[in-house]
Amino acid sequence: MDPSEVEFLAEKETVKIIPNFSLDKVYLIGGDLGPFNPGLPVSVPVWLALNLKQRQKCRIVPPEWMDADKLEEIRELERKEDTFTPIPSPHYMELTKLLLNHAADNIPKADEIRTLVKDIWDTRIAKLRLSADSFITQQEAHAKLDNLTLMEINTTRTFLLDSLKYMYKLRSNLQPGSGKSQDY
Amino acid sequence: MSDAGSDFSGEDGSQEDIMTPAELIAKLEETWLNERFSPELLENKSEMVECVMEQLMHMEENLQRVKKGDVKASIHRMEIDRIRFVLSSYLRSRLQKVEKFFPHVLEKEKSRSEGDPSFLSPEEFAFAKEYMANTETYLKAVALKHMPPNLQQVDMLKAVPEPCLDCFVFLRVKERQENILVEPETDDQREYVVDLDEGSQHLMRYRTIAPLVSSGAVQLI
Amino acid sequence: MDTQSYMPVPPGVGLEENFFSLDDILLSHQRLPCRTENAFPRLGFLEKSSETPDILEGTKMEMPLWLAKGLYERKRRVLSVDLPKMYREGWRTVFGADPNVVDLHKMGPYFYGLGSQLLHFDSPENPEIAQAILQTYIGRFRRTMDSSQNAYNEDTSALVERLDFLERTLFREGQSGLNSFQQWERGKAGHLTASSLVTNYRKRKINELQE
Repeated sequence: MDPSEVEFLAEKETVKIIPNFSLDKVYLIGGDLGPFNPGLPVSVPVWLALNLKQRQKCRIVPPEWMDADKLEEIRELERKEDTFTPIPSPHYMELTKLLLNHAADNIPKADEIRTLVKDIWDTRIAKLRLSADSFITQQEAHAKLDNLTLMEINTTRTFLLDSLKYMYKLRSNLQPGSGKSQDY
Repeated sequence: MSDAGSDFSGEDGSQEDIMTPAELIAKLEETWLNERFSPELLENKSEMVECVMEQLMHMEENLQRVKKGDVKASIHRMEIDRIRFVLSSYLRSRLQKVEKFFPHVLEKEKSRSEGDPSFLSPEEFAFAKEYMANTETYLKAVALKHMPPNLQQVDMLKAVPEPCLDCFVFLRVKERQENILVEPETDDQREYVVDLDEGSQHLMRYRTIAPLVSSGAVQLI
Repeated sequence: MDTQSYMPVPPGVGLEENFFSLDDILLSHQRLPCRTENAFPRLGFLEKSSETPDILEGTKMEMPLWLAKGLYERKRRVLSVDLPKMYREGWRTVFGADPNVVDLHKMGPYFYGLGSQLLHFDSPENPEIAQAILQTYIGRFRRTMDSSQNAYNEDTSALVERLDFLERTLFREGQSGLNSFQQWERGKAGHLTASSLVTNYRKRKINELQE
C-alpha cells in the first residue's frame, strides 16, 4: 500500500473542531455530522476538519495525546520497554503530519511535538527490525503484533512478507519431492 | 437529503441483514483492505458493490438540485469522492489479480459446482476469458506458430504461477477464535495452537486463516 | 498504490521455475559442469573443443541448466552433473562459519536459485546443499535488511555489490518501502504524476515528429 492510502484511512479518525459558522445536521452516507454552531465544539472526520480549516471556517482542537508532556512520557516508555507500548492513536504518525502541516497554529508547541513523534516512530521502527530479524532467524510461524500501527506495518510489509516467502520456498527444498516438477 | 436504508444481505444469505448506509461503507472498506492484502482473489461482493453504487447515484441525484457553492453540497461531494476512491481501488485490485492468476481463476470457476456462488462477477468473468484468449492469441502470433508442431502448446495452468497461499499476512482479529493450529516451520518445532483474542494483531500464514477472512472473523491489515 | 501497469512474473525460487519469469529464464542459462554417460552421435559441433563428429561418452563439458535438466533422467543415466564449487563441502563449511563474508554476487549471482535447481539432480549431498542455502539465507538476512533500511538518497552500489540476485530484490523492496514513507513524510506523495507510460508515449511522439 502507498503511505498516502494509509493516510487516507487515518483521515477517517474524528477530531474536534470549533466552527465559526452555523449549519444544520449533514446526513452523509457514512453517518450524520453536526449540527454546527459558532464557538461550539463538534466532532468531525479529519478529512472534513482539514478542509474547513483550509477554508478558515474552523479551529481544530488537537487530540488529547498531541501534547508535548504526554508525548515525552510515551517516548521515555517506548525507549525503556523492549516491546511495542500501546500508542494513544492507531494513526499517530499520519495525524501528527496532517494536523501539524495544516493546522500548526492551533497546536501548542508544534515543533516539539513533531520531534517527539519522530523519536517515538524511530524507536518503534528499530524494534520492528529487531523482531523481524528474530522472526526470521528463529523461523517462527506466528507472531503477535499488538500495538503495531498500520503505517509501521506498511513501511516493511513487502520486504518482510517477501523475505518470509523466499525462506519458505528455500525450506521446501529440504523435503525432496514436495516441489512440483514442471514440464512444458 | 435523508439516508435511505439499503437492504444488503449478509454473506450467509439465509439471514437478511438490513445494513445501514454507514455499515455498508464500513463493509466496503473492510472488503477493500482484505482484497488488497490477500494473496488470492476473494469471493466477489457484487451485491455490496451495487448497493454502494446505488447510494452514490442517489446522493448525486440529490446534489443536482442544490445550487453551486453550497457548503453542505461540497461536504457531500468530498464524501462521494472518498467512497468512489475506495470502490475503484477495490475493483482495480481485483482486476489486477485476475490478470495475474487468470488461468487459475478460470479453472476455479469451471470446477465450481452448480449453486455455489461464483468468485467472479459476470464482468470479471468476461474480462478473465478475454484476457486468456488475448494472451493465447498473442503468444501464438509472436512465437508459437514458428515452433515445430509438437511445441505449439503452452499449458497456461502450469506456466502462470498460482497464488501463494503459504505467504504470511498481517491481520487484526474481529471475533475471538480459539485453538487455531499453527503448523511448525522446521522439523524440530512442534505444531501448537493459539487463541486469537478480539482486537489482537498477528503475523501468520494466510492458509491458516483464509476461512476466517471470508467469514469476516479477521481483518487483513 | 501499486500503480505499475506492468507486473513482471516473479521468479519461482526453490524447485519450481516460473515459465514467464525473465529472472528464471536467465537462471536457466547458468552453466553447469557435466559429464556425458553416453555417446551423443553427431553432436560434436556443440562442444567447441572437440574435433570428433560425436560427443563421446565420458566427455566433460559445460551445459546450461535448461539443457542439463532436459537431458537428465534418474533411471537412464545420460549425463551426470558435478556440483559447482560453491555448493561443495569446502565452501559449505565457509558459509556455515560466517555467511556474511562471502561475495554471493560473484559466486552466483543466482546462488539460491541455482542451488535449489541443483536438487533436481540426484546427488547424495542434496540434503546438505538444501540446508546450506537455507542457513546462508537466514544468516545474511539481518545484513540485507539493515543495508536496505539505512541508505536513503545515497549511492547504494557498495551495499548491493555482494548480494545475490534474490537478496537484491529484497534490498530494492526494503528501499522502496523506506523511500515511499520518507517521501510521504516530506509531503511529496500528495502530487499526482503522469504514469511513465504516458510520459514515454509523449517522448516517442516528439521523437517521431523530429525524425
